[in-house]
Amino acid sequence: MSSIEKNIRELDKLQNLQQRSHWMNSLHPLGKLLLSIFYIFVTVSFDKYSLAPLIVMAIYPLFGFIVGELSFKEGIYRMRLILPLVIFVGIFNPFFDKRIILEVAGIGISGGVISMLTLMLKGFYSVLSAYILIATTSIDDICYALRILRVPKQIVIVIMLIYRYFGVMAAEADRITTAYKLRAPKQNGIHYKAWGTLVGQWLLRSMDRAEDVYESMLLRGFTGDFSMRKHKTAATDILYPAIWGLIFLVIRFFLIKIL
Amino acid sequence: MQTGISGEILKIENLSFSYEKTQQVLKDINLTAVDGESIGIIGANGIGKTTLMKLLVGLYTDYQGTLEVAGHQVNKKNLAHIREHIGYVFQDSDSQLFLSTIEDDVAFGPRNYGLSEEEVEKRVTEALEKVHISELRNKQTYKLSGGEKKLASIATILSMKPDIIIMDEPSIALDPRNRRNLIKILNEIDSLKIITSHDLDFILDTCERCLLLDEGRIIADGGSREILMDKELLEAHGLELPLSAGRMS
Repeated sequence: MSSIEKNIRELDKLQNLQQRSHWMNSLHPLGKLLLSIFYIFVTVSFDKYSLAPLIVMAIYPLFGFIVGELSFKEGIYRMRLILPLVIFVGIFNPFFDKRIILEVAGIGISGGVISMLTLMLKGFYSVLSAYILIATTSIDDICYALRILRVPKQIVIVIMLIYRYFGVMAAEADRITTAYKLRAPKQNGIHYKAWGTLVGQWLLRSMDRAEDVYESMLLRGFTGDFSMRKHKTAATDILYPAIWGLIFLVIRFFLIKIL
Repeated sequence: MQTGISGEILKIENLSFSYEKTQQVLKDINLTAVDGESIGIIGANGIGKTTLMKLLVGLYTDYQGTLEVAGHQVNKKNLAHIREHIGYVFQDSDSQLFLSTIEDDVAFGPRNYGLSEEEVEKRVTEALEKVHISELRNKQTYKLSGGEKKLASIATILSMKPDIIIMDEPSIALDPRNRRNLIKILNEIDSLKIITSHDLDFILDTCERCLLLDEGRIIADGGSREILMDKELLEAHGLELPLSAGRMS
């Protein structure tokens, strides 16, 4: 299987997750979006040496993965490109902050190591919470929530269209590379001389397809704004984010004093 | 949306169109169609069939002549109105289906026209029932087979209850069973249907009227049997007798 096809399948799998009939998927997207943003906000607001309460904050991603029946392994795999960036952001802290602030079994641990770990955890948790959101909420629902939050229509439509055309472009890229490989079986990869033509073809064909999709939208009454399905609000839609929000605040303002 | 117009629903007079000034794609097209008719448009590759279809739905508006859909002139000002009356099923179903599930895609048109959620729900149910794919309602579009995609594409148009349904090569890439199924479903739809196809047997099975296009002009306009059994006429314009012609003669 080509890497493009693999990536298309990954995208399909993610859409499968979003379409499940799990109760977490059925929650109102606005609540889930606000909860994710609030979680990230609370997580990054911890002091750089507050490692212990930050570890407790793992409760939300753990809950999301276990109760939401999401595969942790797949989640990590899907976030593999961004995880190294967020995890290694504090890698140089131990060199700058050498003050010993903690002793474990007689071994002194510097402030730099602690702050590096907290930075890593903050990034890691943020990525996981974002993953939980996108694995349980479709892009249409996220955009619906963004529109409720009065995010400008133009921005929301650009997000939706990029998502739509991404699939179109990926499918075209897959067709072109497959056609090339089938006629160049002895060649390892695509010869550099063919790159220009292939990329040109890819863009032209993607534009043609994208134009067809756009025309199909226009012919069905699209006038520049997506009319989305309105979600009815149930008690759980309010309770779920409210309870979690309360838990985050308890960890942030009370547990921090105990730990 | 259906207007309930029972008479002349499509009127084309002296329609000409060119992408570039030097080369006219369509020349002096004249055609009228009434509600409930099914019209097949045939012709060799590149003679302007798809262009004519796109003109009807207002994707090109810089034409010469008269083009009226449900009593409204096709121009930029009337586009929204025109598109409420006319549905276009693309040749490539992947261009037609762009939302995650069949339900969302079929509901896309009615939602854009501001219908209530109850009405949207009703329209989706009816459209899926008409093409016999109610069980696929929550299925993701990328998981459908070619035949299912075609039926889902038609459902996306039926949910808008158009007066006119235009289909570009609907039988392309369908296996015999799906093709037969599609013929049956199209014959059950009572709106005005305009179908372009190279599959002349398909036209014979679905359309009582047929237009033969060549070099941008209507060469023949008459009963499908009459035109599709005329070997000389077809061969003179780059076509051949349909396979079923042998059985019929």
